[in-house]
Amino acid sequence: MIDNRPLSPHLSIHKKILTATFSIFHRITGIALSIGSVLISTWIFLIALGPKYFLFFEIIAASIVFKIILFFWTLGIFYHTFNGVRYLFWSYGLGMDLKTVYNSGYLTLLLTVLATLFVWMF
Amino acid sequence: MKSNYASKWILQRVTALILIPLTFWFIYQCISFQSMSYGEIIYFFQSYINSFLFLIMMTAMMIHAKLGCETIVQDYVTSASSIKTLKVIINFITLMSLLLSLFAIVKIGIL
Repeated sequence: MIDNRPLSPHLSIHKKILTATFSIFHRITGIALSIGSVLISTWIFLIALGPKYFLFFEIIAASIVFKIILFFWTLGIFYHTFNGVRYLFWSYGLGMDLKTVYNSGYLTLLLTVLATLFVWMF
Repeated sequence: MKSNYASKWILQRVTALILIPLTFWFIYQCISFQSMSYGEIIYFFQSYINSFLFLIMMTAMMIHAKLGCETIVQDYVTSASSIKTLKVIINFITLMSLLLSLFAIVKIGIL
């Protein structure tokens, strides 16, 4: 049965379509943010354990690698949130005509970049 | 496969709605955490409003993450036994993270 099942489209041989790319990135950021959410739990857990343990976090947080991860985290969370709002509208069948789908996609990208820049201006 | 996928679909969207305002709240707080001392962060989470919002966020986040990761596993993993194993791992990690946050908030609250 497994041998006969229709395969999902091979990503590499298809023309890249904007909507498909948006969907894939929604999933990639979703996985990354899931890992991030475990890190938030670890962070609050270290705070609860006491200042000695929190120092461990502070040392990591001071590194440039952490700052770079944090930057991509911001980018990922804003993308996933704004694109997610788009999907919530779709769940109600709203904004599903091709023109709106593309325009809301561009709006998602614009808002993601603006929000990320805004956060890092602080 | 007795899971009710319709209710999972709805739960994924309900948690998404809850997470929208809390995401912006948490990002805003994270900016101020950067300049806070350890004592100030403890003080922040000793406020009932803040710890309540944080726990709501973590709960919604973990449910949302669990459902989302499960969907991805179902879509891209073909072997039924691998799907089962991965689901157990996802359930374990998300539940442990949630318990870790709950423990932390309670501990900070009674400090």
